[in-house]
Amino acid sequence: MTETARGHIDKTSLEPDLEALLAGDEKAFELLVAQESPRLFRIIHRILGDEEESKNILQETFLQAFQRMHTFRRESKFTTWLYAIGINLARGSLRKSKRMTSLDDADVERLQPSFSKGMFVESPQSWDPLKLAERTDRHKFLHQAIDKLPEDYKAIVILRDIEEHSTEEVAKMLNITGGAVRVRLHRARVALRTMLNTHFQYQSQSSK
Amino acid sequence: MAKTLLGMAPNCKKVTSFLAEYVEGTLPEKLRQQFDQHIGMCKCCGPYFEQYRATIGMIKEGKEVAIPSELVEHTMSFLRKNADFKH
Repeated sequence: MTETARGHIDKTSLEPDLEALLAGDEKAFELLVAQESPRLFRIIHRILGDEEESKNILQETFLQAFQRMHTFRRESKFTTWLYAIGINLARGSLRKSKRMTSLDDADVERLQPSFSKGMFVESPQSWDPLKLAERTDRHKFLHQAIDKLPEDYKAIVILRDIEEHSTEEVAKMLNITGGAVRVRLHRARVALRTMLNTHFQYQSQSSK
Repeated sequence: MAKTLLGMAPNCKKVTSFLAEYVEGTLPEKLRQQFDQHIGMCKCCGPYFEQYRATIGMIKEGKEVAIPSELVEHTMSFLRKNADFKH
């Protein structure tokens, strides 16, 4: 534990007590659950969009972590390993449920811009600042668009752009390369920009 | 990878391919200057870059997720029933 100059415990710098966790110590697990539940719940909830199922997946994540502690190889941060379990369980739940994302890789490809001799085939039209200023609408359209992304793209957007984990951490959580994280993040952002484009264009341009 | 573009005049396709690195400030300085110049002049890349950046900004605003007040206690109750803790 770290104490600040004022003597308060700085919870953000707490590292899990691995030896106690490996020994199956309940107090150590309780501390881990208290520390990591909020952030891990947010990630799981962002993937699933369902509070009850997210609570179930969170419980199952900690149980699997407890049961699989001996497989943690210390090649990553412990929390990265823990989050990887939660993300895998959440993605598995998403696949089983009817809350499937509606786009596939070919759709993401179609949402990338087209070029001819290095130039845009279609010139991007300006967005309407009045529509951009509508925060509630903006949120609604953006999150509907994120929910449509293929699940690996969606997970990368959530982990990199919303939760701000590093590329290297996300690569370990999803068991892919850092290069794949960077490429899919960019393609996901471009796909989202294209999906938002129809909504944010000036009405006079979109109705022509 | 971006270094392979050094010395080549950037066009729209190249600039849009490296927008993530451009936004993160990880492009080599000389290439960034070429990109700045292209984006400043190009009628397509200017608005496209602004929209790409606006999209990232909107994503980063996030969506509030309310944390259930009983989350930790429910999780611990579940674990006490199902995990073989050592006391």
